[in-house]
Amino acid sequence: MSLIQTLLGTVLFAVLAPVVGCLLAGADRIVSARMQGRVGPPLLQPYYDVRKLLGKEDVSVSGVDGLYMTCALVFTAFSGGFFFSGGNLLMSAFLITMAALFFIIAAYSSRSPFAEIGAGRESLQVMAYEPMVILMAVAFYLATGTFQVAGVFDLRHPIVCTTWLAFIGFLFILTIKLRKSPFDLSSSHHAHQELVKGVTTEMSGRTLAKVEVMHWCETVLFLGWTGMFFVWGGPATLIVGVVFALLAWFLEILIDNNFARVKWQAMLKSAWIVALVCGGVNIAVLMLL
Amino acid sequence: MILIDSLVVFPLIAAVLLLIGRTDAVRDVIVVASAAIIAVLSIVLAAQYLGAPTTYFMFESPVIDALVPLISIAICATICAFGIKYKNVFAVVLAIVQLAGSLVFEFVFAHGIDVQLSLYVDTLSAIMALIIGIIGSGICVYALGYMKDFQAHEPEGARDRRPTFFAIMFLFLSAMYVIVFSNNMSWMFTGWEVTTLCSFLLIAYTRTDEAVRNAFRQIIMNIAGGIGFLVALFAVVICFGTLSFSEFIALGSLFPSFAALPVCALAFAGLTKAAQMPFHTWLLGAMVAPTPTSALLHSSTMVKAGVFLLIKLAPLFLVCPVPAVMCELVGGVTFLLCSCMAIAQSNAKRVLAYSTIANLGLIVACAGVGTPEAVWAAIFLVIFHAIAKSLLFLCVGTAEHHIGSRNIEDMDLLFQRMPKLARFMMLGIMCMFIAPFGMLIAKWATLISFVETNSFVLILLLAFGSGATFMFWAKWLGKLTGIAGEPEDVELTVHKSEWAALYLMAGLIIAVCVLLPVISSCIVEPYIASMFGVPAQGVGQDNLWIASVLVAFVAIVLFGGLRHSRQKKVDVYLSGVGTDFATRTYVNSMGGQTQATARNLYLEPLFGEGRLKVAGEVICTVLIVIAFIASGVLF
Amino acid sequence: MSFATKSPWVIHYDASSCNGCDIEVLAALCPGFDLERFGIVNTGNPKHADIFLVTGSVNERNQHVVKQIYDQMVEPKVVVACGICACSGGIFHDCYNILGGVDKVIPVDVYVPGCAVRPEALIDGVVQALDILDQRAKALEAKRKGA
Repeated sequence: MSLIQTLLGTVLFAVLAPVVGCLLAGADRIVSARMQGRVGPPLLQPYYDVRKLLGKEDVSVSGVDGLYMTCALVFTAFSGGFFFSGGNLLMSAFLITMAALFFIIAAYSSRSPFAEIGAGRESLQVMAYEPMVILMAVAFYLATGTFQVAGVFDLRHPIVCTTWLAFIGFLFILTIKLRKSPFDLSSSHHAHQELVKGVTTEMSGRTLAKVEVMHWCETVLFLGWTGMFFVWGGPATLIVGVVFALLAWFLEILIDNNFARVKWQAMLKSAWIVALVCGGVNIAVLMLL
Repeated sequence: MILIDSLVVFPLIAAVLLLIGRTDAVRDVIVVASAAIIAVLSIVLAAQYLGAPTTYFMFESPVIDALVPLISIAICATICAFGIKYKNVFAVVLAIVQLAGSLVFEFVFAHGIDVQLSLYVDTLSAIMALIIGIIGSGICVYALGYMKDFQAHEPEGARDRRPTFFAIMFLFLSAMYVIVFSNNMSWMFTGWEVTTLCSFLLIAYTRTDEAVRNAFRQIIMNIAGGIGFLVALFAVVICFGTLSFSEFIALGSLFPSFAALPVCALAFAGLTKAAQMPFHTWLLGAMVAPTPTSALLHSSTMVKAGVFLLIKLAPLFLVCPVPAVMCELVGGVTFLLCSCMAIAQSNAKRVLAYSTIANLGLIVACAGVGTPEAVWAAIFLVIFHAIAKSLLFLCVGTAEHHIGSRNIEDMDLLFQRMPKLARFMMLGIMCMFIAPFGMLIAKWATLISFVETNSFVLILLLAFGSGATFMFWAKWLGKLTGIAGEPEDVELTVHKSEWAALYLMAGLIIAVCVLLPVISSCIVEPYIASMFGVPAQGVGQDNLWIASVLVAFVAIVLFGGLRHSRQKKVDVYLSGVGTDFATRTYVNSMGGQTQATARNLYLEPLFGEGRLKVAGEVICTVLIVIAFIASGVLF
Repeated sequence: MSFATKSPWVIHYDASSCNGCDIEVLAALCPGFDLERFGIVNTGNPKHADIFLVTGSVNERNQHVVKQIYDQMVEPKVVVACGICACSGGIFHDCYNILGGVDKVIPVDVYVPGCAVRPEALIDGVVQALDILDQRAKALEAKRKGA
């Protein structure tokens, strides 16, 4: 039963997440522009970008990065499918890591000096956020008694009431996961950084379009994780979850526009300390008290 | 019964034959035939007993009882001979202490204690038999080709010790079978000591200063563990008056206060053999040996004997908190610190060694937790680790002989230089650390068992260790996948026997990962049920099936998809004028030529061995000492 | 209109400009003119870019750089010469090391004169370039369907 549910969820996620993610990306650019005193592009600009990329000539340095990115997309879809069909939260977290790995390999395969450094930094980012993701899932389990995401509907109050500290830790690494400044080490949205474009330096046309679509899907998934903290009782409370997810999204844009990039040392240390303090203390309280 | 006997005896016959037939051609035939027979016997045995309830065999043999002290004396004599030759007093003293202890034990304490059901087979020992029989003998076949190259690389006039080498490999397998099938703890101890001696001889194979030094480090640490085993034997006989392992576990569960000290001592023996901190240095030192030795020690024998014993003790860990906490914390700390130290290593074999120690730490911690879910996780960690690690060691060994280095940085472009080998290596690496492959599924089950037992510290250790694990595997994986220019394909000269073993391991990885749900529900869960009375599996069958499908997908991509695409090939961007794109060379600002190179991140200042090693050794030593004092007081 | 014209990503290269035109190019991306309204993004990576903005005249040393950036851009692509130096060599045209305008090295599609070039003129030039980009995108599409 849940097998079919998951597969159905995966298909639906693969169809709907790019739409929602694309609109969010467009809104992100408009909000950022407004914060900088500009007008900004149309809402559908990310969609235009991807359509343009699909129309470009199909070229590649390694000849395999396109396939790796397809795999990354497939795993992202499964990860989202698991989450939004109410499946296992840990499985969702592990599969999205696999997607990140394929993205990293795609960059390494070009053997471009810029892409290799970008890929190395991307691995560092995964290493920085992975502990907090696991601790977040554990906190979720302790609050709900299950790793099944659907478990939140059986609660009498949203899990954020008992896991607010872990939620703060999660918000911290959300910035890394969304590759926003100050943690956009591997690849930045802004031109003229020292790595050209980091991970995506050698990706063009279709492959780059896949990267964009993957980012859209990831944004939706991670905001889903955020919203999960605020849902309880029944499906009607999903609206509360959506509202808080959007607030978190706005906060991330605000942070993106207000901070300069940090060095990897600062990212790794701060992320691990936050994981240890926020995740650790929260779990200790839930477990031992 | 006959199967067990032949599994123990057959490798011994092969070992003797190998000492007699000393030419290459004869050796090839003997090794391939014996490996095939051992593998077939193991499979037949597994087919009979996998998933079946534990079967005990009435078997008493005065001959074997007489052999036990003789073997102990022979082991001591060998160590003393080496100790005197290489002037290592400490090893000699330890060996004599152990011999004295074991003789006193045999003739004073164990005298008159008979174990009637001295052999047994259950699912775990059948799984171990499969691992030893298929992976172990696969490594022996691989060694045929490898040792030819190895001998060719040796300096002119070096002695050819290969007959002894292969004989010891088979002796090792035999000793492992003794450990996994003996219900008589005295026999198990003998097998235990034989594996210690075999790995000593294998590590010292080249007789260089470094090899001998590391071999002595190994023997000293493992004899210390052996003495721990001996202490446990004394305690078991004094408290429970039996030498039967199954009776000990049954009685120990009833009288946990008596069991604390023997369990603690046995766990100590397990920790040394499984190379947990502070004893991890012997496994790192073992890297000087020829690669098949490393593969054997890491994947199917030696260290697996340690964790096998600990998993067997899991029901006792549930009732004896002191040794349980010792195993959990030592295992957990070892997992975290060794995963972190692996980041700073560029030597491929050293990375593999650290990863082995780290994963064994996880298995040890699972055994210490001892709940049904934890044992489920531990068994799968053992299986996947054995297969993936042997594949990786064999890949590194072959790569080393063909690219002339075992440094990960030199494995640049391996994807083109050794296309098949690189894909095998990628498969092995992925299996070690990422969903949907087996190792991560087992880690997932580990996490669930930690959460359900409220093991707060273990959860933290696992969470941070997993982050570090991702880092060191991902950058190695990335290094392999680079594509540039048209480098020469150097894998055409790889020996057939090496390919055979590599194909076997790669096939096993895919098969076991894809069949994981079936193995779990038909084999491991019934075993857990028979052990604890409740079936348990933390991950969920549906999730296992989806993981299985995704593994098949990745395998198809890896071996079917990554070929030349129809895309137009373009040159890489070098931020200036590139002159030779195949070597990433560009015109620099002085008008000269510079080659663009990128090294991976090793984060030496944060994750270097210096501080972490000391911290880990201190923490783990303190933990072990406290555990011994506490269980001694309880005793 | 094809999607190529709705999301023109640019790469800017300073051949041997006096920096006057460079400042104007970047100014065009600033809030005052906000070129992102038209989907224009400054990428800094030829593999991602559709429009090549070159400022300054081409000299002996950097002619290979200009050529290589152009070669590495993925079809369809257009080149805009920004400022009089990029168009013809400008006041530097008879310096000993100057080859002349950008069109000595790569095919130029739109010439935007000015010293320095005004952002308004630049935007106008880019919009003209979009027409050419549109044609090329359609031609590529037709070729792909035909093939």
